[in-house]
Amino acid sequence: MNKEFLNKRYKKEKRFILIGRVAVSLTIIFLVILLGSILLRGISGFYTTNIFLTTNLSQEIIDPENKKNVEEIYKSSWRKIARNSIYDVLSAFNKSKNIDKISRKDKRDFLKLFSRSSEFYIRDFTLENLDSIGKEVKISIPSSSLVDQFLKGKINIAVNEDDRPINDKQISWINFMVENKMIERKFNINFFYKGDSRNAEEAGILGAIVGSFFVILVAIIVAFPVGVMSAIYLEEFAPKNKITNIIEVNINNLAAVPSIVFGLLGLAIFLNFFGLPRSSPLAGGLVLALMTLPTIIISSRVAIKSVPPSIREAAMGIGASKMQSVFHHVIPLAVPGILTGTIIGMARALGETAPLLMMGMVAFIVDVPQSITDPSTVLPAQIFLWSDQPERGFEEKTAAATIILLVFLLTMNALAVFLRYKYERKW
Amino acid sequence: MSDIKPKISVSNLNVFYGSKQAIFDINMSINSKEVTAFIGPSGCGKSTLLRCFNRMNDLIDICKINGSIKLDDLEVYSKKIDIVRLRTRVGMVFQKPNPFPKSIYDNVAYGPKIHGLCKDVSELDGIVEKSLQSAGLWEEVKDRLHEPGTGISGGQQQRLCIARAIATNPEVILMDEPCSALDPIATAKVEELIDSLKKNFTIIIVTHNMQQAARVSQKTAFFHLGALIEFGNTDKVFTSPEKEKTSDYITGRFG
Ligand SMILES: Nc1ncnc2c1ncn2[C@@H]1O[C@H](COP(=O)(O)OP(=O)(O)OP(=O)(O)O)[C@@H](O)[C@H]1O
Ligand SMILES: [Mg+2]
Repeated sequence: MNKEFLNKRYKKEKRFILIGRVAVSLTIIFLVILLGSILLRGISGFYTTNIFLTTNLSQEIIDPENKKNVEEIYKSSWRKIARNSIYDVLSAFNKSKNIDKISRKDKRDFLKLFSRSSEFYIRDFTLENLDSIGKEVKISIPSSSLVDQFLKGKINIAVNEDDRPINDKQISWINFMVENKMIERKFNINFFYKGDSRNAEEAGILGAIVGSFFVILVAIIVAFPVGVMSAIYLEEFAPKNKITNIIEVNINNLAAVPSIVFGLLGLAIFLNFFGLPRSSPLAGGLVLALMTLPTIIISSRVAIKSVPPSIREAAMGIGASKMQSVFHHVIPLAVPGILTGTIIGMARALGETAPLLMMGMVAFIVDVPQSITDPSTVLPAQIFLWSDQPERGFEEKTAAATIILLVFLLTMNALAVFLRYKYERKW
Repeated sequence: MSDIKPKISVSNLNVFYGSKQAIFDINMSINSKEVTAFIGPSGCGKSTLLRCFNRMNDLIDICKINGSIKLDDLEVYSKKIDIVRLRTRVGMVFQKPNPFPKSIYDNVAYGPKIHGLCKDVSELDGIVEKSLQSAGLWEEVKDRLHEPGTGISGGQQQRLCIARAIATNPEVILMDEPCSALDPIATAKVEELIDSLKKNFTIIIVTHNMQQAARVSQKTAFFHLGALIEFGNTDKVFTSPEKEKTSDYITGRFG
């Protein structure tokens, strides 16, 4: 071989490696940008702003006869108490600035700094601490998402006052509260404990997480056994004839069908024909089971097929029946492949919204579902819903929910990798 | 020769893969407790014939068989036969060592277990030890019985497969080029083993190695293009073959 020829060959190889490296770097850069931007926007969503409100739990309003009857206390005029203590703050502000007139607009604007459910926080606090009735207490209640966003620097205050959601007075009020150490920044536990809400500061992800969990549970319970059994039957026991050929081709076709079509199918069959409850994880899970079935069947068949024939021959050669050779030798070796396929199929189902749209699962649902027949939504649907909200505070909720979805997906993929290593091919 | 009852007798056997015929009208008898070697050029149908004896060809959909094979008085290709039972009587060792990806112990114990040949664990332990001893592997693996069977050398794996085959106590052992993946030392060990096994088992071995056939077998069958050309005592086939084709093949003029 002459030298020039060899050189050319080396150059070709170097060029190829270079192109490969560029491609990999590009992928990594895109991934970093994607994850980075989501993280940057989402992390702040896990924090929230609370205001310490000095509240006078007036005996007269709450429990005038001192009966300590919880039901009556529950029904008292909490709004009045909340308003009173909120306006007290405004008065304190005015006093410090020597202003004596409070306009109604000011009151309205000031109220906007507090969560619309402030009164319920005061009520719940009181019910837990019945002794404090008649006293003055400091209760930490969520600020409105406006304050939260302002303090997080998410609102551009350089623009004209009329063009921003917050006016100058409100800013000076917030600064007053900050100076008086009334503002607390804390981890947003509510985000993990509550369902959806119209108020950004109240909205939580738990409903969607539980909904997703139920949906995936239903999908796994249905799709895994059916898929694996079909794969085993088709691969090992079914006669090879026209009918099985047709079935095989159609399973491959099904895997390529757009997911929304499965939604239409589910709408027609599960909701209209069988009358399953709308928006329920049961119906949604069944649709996703249908959708992942082909993936599970195909990957299980590949896993079964890749078990070397010598193992089957060995088993048959010492007189194992077909059934024994399949279940004692082939399946155990195919398990990692089957599990990997299933998990990846389920991960895809977890991120799916289109078919669930048809099942009414992309909906505003406040209550955390208690069972698979309760109305619920799922993580990706929740993300979609929040991203559609005009209110500022939902933006970081969207990103935070995306982070949670990604964490779930990565966990599932990590599980798949772990299983593959754990039961690595041993032949 | 005909005064002993043959272990296996083949008559008018034809085997087809789809429309292609692989075995042409073979008649032969294989004696009990002897080693019979099958030799012949590649593709002449040795493996096909061997796999007829324990109906491993059933695994191939397109394979069709007519004619008769008798194991003692049992018609191998009769419809009523219990194939599982047949395969416990006719064990098989394959060309490539194919231990199960389980422990050495489980490899040997698997056959007896599924056939219910043992009542309790100690009896099973006994079978495993005896089989490994017969296969000449006991001394080498007795301290690592619970390590994977795929983690030992190729020659040891092949002897493990032999141990696995004899654990079900078969009458016949079929070996399809058992040494082709082994080095000369491992080959010598397996050959020794075959020699010692013939006391208790009827052995049929396919080989491409003339010396091996000459060393281990009592009878040799030479096949060509699916037909049985010559079959007789090994000494005779190798020293004074009757057919020209046989001597051509043995002396290496073709094949
Ligand atoms: N599964 C199969 N499908 C179709 N034809 C086959 C199959 N197995 C073997 N044959 C054909 O049958 C003939 C005999 O094959 P066989 O494997 O028995 O030969 P062999 O003597 O064992 O050869 P070798 O020494 O190379 O192993 C060959 O022509 C082969 O092409
Ligand atoms: Mg062969």
